[in-house]
Amino acid sequence: MRDKNFLIGAFIVFLIFLFLQITKPDLYISDRGLLLFLILLFGGILQFSTRHALRGGDVFLRTIPGVKAVEEAVGRSTEMGKPVLYVPGIQDMDQVETVAGVVILGHVSKMTARYETPLNVPVARSIVLKAAQEACKESYLVEGRSDIYNENMVHYVTDDQFAYAAGVNGIMNREKPAACLYMGKFYAESLLLAETGNSIGAIQIAGTASQSQIPFFVTACDYTLIGEEFFAASAYLSQKPDLLGIVKGQDIVKIVMLIMIIGGTLLRLFHDLGAINFNILDFLTITKG
Amino acid sequence: MLLKRQIPIFIVMFFGFLTLFGWFIDQKQVKDFVDIHGLQWYGIISTFAIFLGIITLIKLQLIKILKKQKGWQYSIVAILGVVFSFTAGFIYKGNPNIEWGAHVIEKGTMFKWIFEFIFTPLSATMFALLAFFVASASYRAFRIRNFEATLLLISGMIIMIGRVPLGSSISSWFVLYLLVFILGITINSIFKNRNYTLISFSSGLIIVTLFGMYLGWPHDKPGIFFLPTLQEWIYKYPNVAGARSISIGIGLGIFATSIRYILGLEKSYIGE
Repeated sequence: MRDKNFLIGAFIVFLIFLFLQITKPDLYISDRGLLLFLILLFGGILQFSTRHALRGGDVFLRTIPGVKAVEEAVGRSTEMGKPVLYVPGIQDMDQVETVAGVVILGHVSKMTARYETPLNVPVARSIVLKAAQEACKESYLVEGRSDIYNENMVHYVTDDQFAYAAGVNGIMNREKPAACLYMGKFYAESLLLAETGNSIGAIQIAGTASQSQIPFFVTACDYTLIGEEFFAASAYLSQKPDLLGIVKGQDIVKIVMLIMIIGGTLLRLFHDLGAINFNILDFLTITKG
Repeated sequence: MLLKRQIPIFIVMFFGFLTLFGWFIDQKQVKDFVDIHGLQWYGIISTFAIFLGIITLIKLQLIKILKKQKGWQYSIVAILGVVFSFTAGFIYKGNPNIEWGAHVIEKGTMFKWIFEFIFTPLSATMFALLAFFVASASYRAFRIRNFEATLLLISGMIIMIGRVPLGSSISSWFVLYLLVFILGITINSIFKNRNYTLISFSSGLIIVTLFGMYLGWPHDKPGIFFLPTLQEWIYKYPNVAGARSISIGIGLGIFATSIRYILGLEKSYIGE
């Protein structure tokens, strides 16, 4: 804890929060104070971890097999002379998963640029199309291979879920990509895509935070990035200290949450047993709409 | 650089902070922006962006046809589909009695006809394929390869049988006798000794029979061996415990990722 600037900043923010909670100005919804406190606390932990990593602090990140396999998959495609198919989900850029999918696409396209492997990115939303094109273009530029960048490698298929699945399945059956990557938000089309990819013998890596689709991907794909692994993938692939620091911060937040869950359960238990009058559920319930 | 980097990052940071902290501000304009207007803005922008997608789609399909790339015949169908839908949506209603605008939902128009007789059956066909894919995926998942796969198979079978009427017809005593058989097989495969197998199997049979006679063979007791009760327990407790832990991880991941964007730490989405 030698980061003086961070400590001063955190202290000022805490004072402002205290001031708001005590004075309760008209513009501030004080009933939601606990939530604001938690956002500030967790945000502060993440910010501290980032600064710690940027100052040269040690950050250990366990190996995520799915992320490691991304480079292998691109390498396999290169060897086989077949394209890499990247599916960034079927939702728009207002979903964090889609944004994370586009961010990972940036890293994947760097690899395809490096190895001169064809990349095919069918998208289901127009804004995702533009964002994905921009990410790929920049990656090819960074790798010094803007000459092989083709704007049509990222292309729009349709907004409709099953029409998109049919379109992507068609691409898979015609082009027979050696690697299929599914990174984003998925619904029922997940299994349609993953099973088709399996049938053509492609190496498949999926990453999603759509809980109901995780079992399908686990069954049909070679590697699956489950939930937070998917969000950490970008940090892992970039190896940037600030992003790695945030992943470490997430683990600290997880420990804090674990303590809160155990503490909350015990408080509720004591309340039910009549040992204390304090009801944690009343404390945590936000009444004002 | 300013237009491509700083301004987009500033917009993300500004609206990110406004949306996050707007929830704590009791002011009508801010509340309206967070709850309604912000989303409407996005809806308007994405609606206009659809033209970008259509242009890309037509361009790509035309290139395929002109260069006679693999599967170019499908591109003709795709372009005809776009032209047909565009005509039905903007040029020809197919029914002069129905107003423009209402023609997309009212029956008797060309647009509605496309929706009902082409789009819906095709979507249903794709959705129906899921049944077959679920079967093939389940076959792979349930193949006994290791301890986890065996556990998955057993719990999957309990859930499947416990949720159908057949499951409630199976007595807990039948399951208990089945377990005695499985115990006998397990002991035999571990010790490979006939005496051990015979003793364990016959003692299991006697214990279950005596226990059943003592309790009067109730159909659904002991509850832990009654499949509908057991599947309910698996579904409500071990399943929910696993799902919640994943949910917490996902929630944290989303929070951390959002913070990365709001604070401008992650800039890959603009290609940096």
